[in-house]
Amino acid sequence: MTTETLQPAVEQAPPAITDAQIRRSKAKKIISKVVIYAILVLYAIIILFPFFIVFITSLKTAFDASKSQFEWIPSEGYTFAAYGAVLTYLPPMIEGIPLIIRGFLNTLLYILPPTLIGLTTSSISAYAFAKLRFRAKKWMYAVLLATMMIPGTIMIVPQYTIYDMIYWTETPLPLMIPGMFGAAACVFFMRQFYAGIPDSIIEAAKLDGLGFLGIFFWIMVPLSVPALLAQGLLGFIGGYNDYLGPLLYLRSDPGIFSLQIALRYIVDKRGIDEPNLSMAASIVALLPTLIIYFICQKFFIEGIVTSGLKQ
Amino acid sequence: MDTDFLLVSEGVAEGPSSATVPLKPPRKKIKVNREEILGTLFAAIPLIGFMIFAFVPLILAVVMAFLNVPGWDIGGATLADKGGFGNFITVLTDPLFWDSVVNTLILGTSTLISQFFALFIAYFLSKDIKGRGVLRIIYFMPYVCSVVAVTLMWQYMFNTNYGIINQMLGKTGDNAIDWLGSSDYFSLAVIIMSVWSGMGYGILLYSAALTNVNQSLVEAARIDGAGAVRVFWNVILPTISPTSLYLLIMGVIGALQSFSVTQILASGGGPNNDGVTIVFYMYQRIFNGRNTMGVASAAACVLAVMILFVTMLQFLGSRRWVKYDN
Repeated sequence: MTTETLQPAVEQAPPAITDAQIRRSKAKKIISKVVIYAILVLYAIIILFPFFIVFITSLKTAFDASKSQFEWIPSEGYTFAAYGAVLTYLPPMIEGIPLIIRGFLNTLLYILPPTLIGLTTSSISAYAFAKLRFRAKKWMYAVLLATMMIPGTIMIVPQYTIYDMIYWTETPLPLMIPGMFGAAACVFFMRQFYAGIPDSIIEAAKLDGLGFLGIFFWIMVPLSVPALLAQGLLGFIGGYNDYLGPLLYLRSDPGIFSLQIALRYIVDKRGIDEPNLSMAASIVALLPTLIIYFICQKFFIEGIVTSGLKQ
Repeated sequence: MDTDFLLVSEGVAEGPSSATVPLKPPRKKIKVNREEILGTLFAAIPLIGFMIFAFVPLILAVVMAFLNVPGWDIGGATLADKGGFGNFITVLTDPLFWDSVVNTLILGTSTLISQFFALFIAYFLSKDIKGRGVLRIIYFMPYVCSVVAVTLMWQYMFNTNYGIINQMLGKTGDNAIDWLGSSDYFSLAVIIMSVWSGMGYGILLYSAALTNVNQSLVEAARIDGAGAVRVFWNVILPTISPTSLYLLIMGVIGALQSFSVTQILASGGGPNNDGVTIVFYMYQRIFNGRNTMGVASAAACVLAVMILFVTMLQFLGSRRWVKYDN
């Protein structure tokens, strides 16, 4: 259609368009392209620049890191001393494993079980919403979607009171147990995915004698590995980076600090006089997520785009 | 639990069916029942979690707002003074609370700025660009970084004496800007770092939305003589308006709940208390040891009303300018 209407116009046009005009429009195109590239590259530099500065600083001595003129090549040379100090730092009260490594292990302990269990419960629920017939489905789904609109922070006060009543404060339980029941956003995302799996596959599985749970574990789960991976990664990163939760519930015992709280603690104790140390600590805390991100960026980006939802 | 239940239902169901009635029709009925029960059960798991860990606290948040709570002990609570409205009166007459509202709104402008720039970056990225994949990976990097590490990074760069930002601006020595210590610059510094770390998400969602723009529509507009600006304004912008609405609502809801960045930068509240956001205000009242859990709950209720109001406003506004295709 468009080409048909275009052609007569072009046939009539030639006398009006001179060589100079063509050249000018070509030049215009090139210029706009250059401008676009320049903006995009500049923005990439703005994103990367802080990482470079921080990385360089983490390789400096405290003296070089606090100089009023930033040096790309520090006068006292590059050193891994700050990393050594961060990785061996122990607060006075605890012994054994250094604080940041302990924080990392604690974080894994706090995050992995709820991520894995929550993923299972969310996707079983999503499977029910997508493929099973039950009377309450419609309103249950409506309620579930409505829960996504409730802002989490307005509940921190009563939650703290409740957890204090059942002796969960100063333990990681408030960070672990609620997530195990699944997350509405994850259910929503997985339901979209499962809805796209043809019913004929499920009918065939039923004929082969699989029950509802069997269909879920043998048909739905294997078909949704990329989606599950995307949601699992988002859940993991969200938990790993969480700050408010651990700040509320892990306040006094450095032995049970999560990584983010341990990072904050080290920087509070040592970072003021030794910026190289606080930068090294930041890099240590960032590295695991960045590595996972670079390896799995495809799943990340797809997961976020398709669900359109933040963790 | 699930499997136990499964076995029981099977046993109960099959007993009478094999004994009394011919096999086929009842079996079908049993299957439907099992689907009904299992479906409800599976679907209910997240809702049960929500009931315990969110619905109960939600009710309690409202109740506590009308109570005087000694420490964190809800058991010893009594009705707040002034007929139960004492906490609300305390909050609404506390200048610091109003400061926190203003601070939250000022810092919240970072959301709008992020969204605006994200749209343009995503638009440029949607052109025929080489290395788009790499650029997208870079742009999204801050999103996966922890807020603690990112804030510490920027804290170093904003440092008055040795921060690179002052050096790049040529503000060293006596001219040095005290970004994080003076009330004039604190909010600006926080907004800058929030935009830096928040844009990636918008870029990603806008990029996805832009790939769905109907190219033949764009072509048609071009042939009709529309320039790039008009095409963008009249064709592309309406098509991606659902994404804009989604980002706006999520952004504003998130911004109203901001806490971490300013708490990390200034756990005491920052210069002139500029870092005290609404959630920060609540947080201070949980841990200040002065029996102010009720006041914190009242503040939470005010915040909830604000969020509800903003969300409704945006949904109503969206009727006028959001164009849904399907």
